[in-house]
Amino acid sequence: MRRFRVQLAFGVVVVLAATLAACGGSSSSSNSSSTAAKSGKPLTIGVSLSLTGDFSDPGQAAKRGYQLWADTVNAAGGINGRPVKLKIVDDASSPNQVVTNYQSLITRDKVDLVVGPFSTLLTGPAATVAHRYGYALVEPAGGGPKVFALHLNNVFFVQPAPTLNCGDPFVAYIKTLSAADRPKTAAYASLDDPFSSPIADRMQKQFEAMGIKTVYKTIYPSETGDLTPVVEKIAAAKPDMVVSGTQSQDAYNQVKGMVQLHFSPKLLFMSNGASSPVEFPSKVGKNNVEGIFTCGDWFPTSKANGNAQFVSAYNQKYGGTPLEIDSTSAEAYAVGQLIEAVAKKTGKVDNQTIISSLHNGTWPSVEGNISWNADGAPQGSDMLLEWVNGKLQPVYPPSAALTQPVQPKPNWGSG
Amino acid sequence: MHLLIQAIILGLLAGGVYALMASGLTLAFGVMKVINVAQGAMIVAGAFLSYTLFTQLHIDPFVSIVLLAPLMFAFGVVLQLVFIRPLRSDEREELSLLVTWALALGIEGLLSVIYKTNYRSTITSYADKSWNVLGYRLSEVRVFAFLLSALIIVGLYVVLTRSEFGRSMRATVQNPTSARLLGVNVERVSAFGFGLSLATATAAGAVFGMIQPFNPGSHYDLISRLLSIIVLGGLGSLGGAIIAALFMGVTEAVFAAEISATWSSSTFFIVLIAILLLRPQGLFGSVERGAL
Repeated sequence: MRRFRVQLAFGVVVVLAATLAACGGSSSSSNSSSTAAKSGKPLTIGVSLSLTGDFSDPGQAAKRGYQLWADTVNAAGGINGRPVKLKIVDDASSPNQVVTNYQSLITRDKVDLVVGPFSTLLTGPAATVAHRYGYALVEPAGGGPKVFALHLNNVFFVQPAPTLNCGDPFVAYIKTLSAADRPKTAAYASLDDPFSSPIADRMQKQFEAMGIKTVYKTIYPSETGDLTPVVEKIAAAKPDMVVSGTQSQDAYNQVKGMVQLHFSPKLLFMSNGASSPVEFPSKVGKNNVEGIFTCGDWFPTSKANGNAQFVSAYNQKYGGTPLEIDSTSAEAYAVGQLIEAVAKKTGKVDNQTIISSLHNGTWPSVEGNISWNADGAPQGSDMLLEWVNGKLQPVYPPSAALTQPVQPKPNWGSG
Repeated sequence: MHLLIQAIILGLLAGGVYALMASGLTLAFGVMKVINVAQGAMIVAGAFLSYTLFTQLHIDPFVSIVLLAPLMFAFGVVLQLVFIRPLRSDEREELSLLVTWALALGIEGLLSVIYKTNYRSTITSYADKSWNVLGYRLSEVRVFAFLLSALIIVGLYVVLTRSEFGRSMRATVQNPTSARLLGVNVERVSAFGFGLSLATATAAGAVFGMIQPFNPGSHYDLISRLLSIIVLGGLGSLGGAIIAALFMGVTEAVFAAEISATWSSSTFFIVLIAILLLRPQGLFGSVERGAL
């Protein structure tokens, strides 16, 4: 009897846990049906996203972008008459799980196409699996050098520039400052991640070439929960400028540390995290965002192909204002646009056609007109964004700017 | 020198919060021989509940502890009755790992359904404020959190050493069979012990939510640290857990500030392995039962 109770209790817990964990967003499939796309065999597209774990904020944003594209394309009759069906699985931000997921999507679920996960860390392993099975991997967020170093012909990073170049517009902007306004010293603090630290490394080289002295540099592992000691070391070095190679949670923690230690550098650039228009102010406080620079591949006012339609449809489906749309959603939407464009141009939607087509010419999307080199690296450039008057806005180059850059950065709490 | 002292201050403040988190874990092991790997998930649940009370009803997270801790104590008693008590005492350590792990996944799933998986942060009006004491920055939230941890731990110590319930609990830790023979209701003590463990987790969660952004998956990082702390301190030793937590906080902060952030997390584990090689029962653990 006692043994039975043990087994019963354990069984109840396991079933409950499994059920809830599954409900928590581990996998979902979305057949964004519409009356327009009811004929034809569904075109199943598999994707592994970080719906839980470290990258869950941007992972959710990517999911919204993919789903919006599927809804839009299905409302317009699908792709070559085939309704798009998304098969979305959760990788918990784990590079191991992402391999299992793509392997499973391709071999077990036999999806027609796969599209990319979030972040360089996960895109590298995903691209390798996709390449092994001859699948194209059009991807929204794997733009770090480690992805292109794989030299795979099936990868297409759908942003204007490789992630490594994310800091280039900021460096270019600093070059425009007068000698008196230019920073003399800089500190670099980066997450140990193939997306983040290469950006800061590249910027460090560029700034050192300009004569800006490095007074501190560190790389911290992702499990570092409290970054206050790191910020303390930065503050002790008294740099004019701080360049942070961040992702999301670590960006929030860096800002929290700086605020609590009352350290406000004249210039602060964060590669990611600060680029999220909704999540960033909600984590660090809306009064603490003013004057922080970040890079951007997309902006709601862009005149790129289909952008106005995307912005309008996004706000209709998810609410909010155009300025609150996360660029990761636009990136994911652009991935879908490219698949749609290939199908429209060639009349086919198989992996080989996608690979061969995208390697030729320039392709329009909400991310702009993009072309790629043989390794899938795009050939354009990003823009510099800054938090000005409580809003994330493009400030450089002047052709894309909506307002003048603000520097030096106002003190914390002045937003 | 200024940097070193500031790092030690930061480490002590962070360590104080970890001490509160670990106290419940070591209590559960000391009293019931339950390795509660759901402690991290319960802390995160506490963070979410406190976040909800703050954002929806504008109840300060420190005040919310007064409301939430008794509720979670009762919930802990129920959990112990339903999931832990049925486990056979001779297999309890092993089976409790599985059962509480399932509980952790269940709590994570439930939180994901309710709150989604985005990061949250409890931003109070004093979240960004800090005192300047002789040139050293003391974050108000962290000082309050440290004081609260100290208060709760002292309260826990007083309960364990001065009250009838505490004596029953310590008797249960030292020898459950003898305690039972002397009239101690061991089952009730165990249930209350688990409830107490959950109440401390809730308090720690409210504090954690103000210090760091969190999401339902944050418990994985937490539990690995907490298990390391109680192993270093000695399983079941409350004093050991406190010393180990402070040690971990200071080691990491000093290493990150003075040497390298890259290896700061590893430092603690290197020390842990070294100590376990020399003293397998941990700093304050006992080879026999009865170290609480």
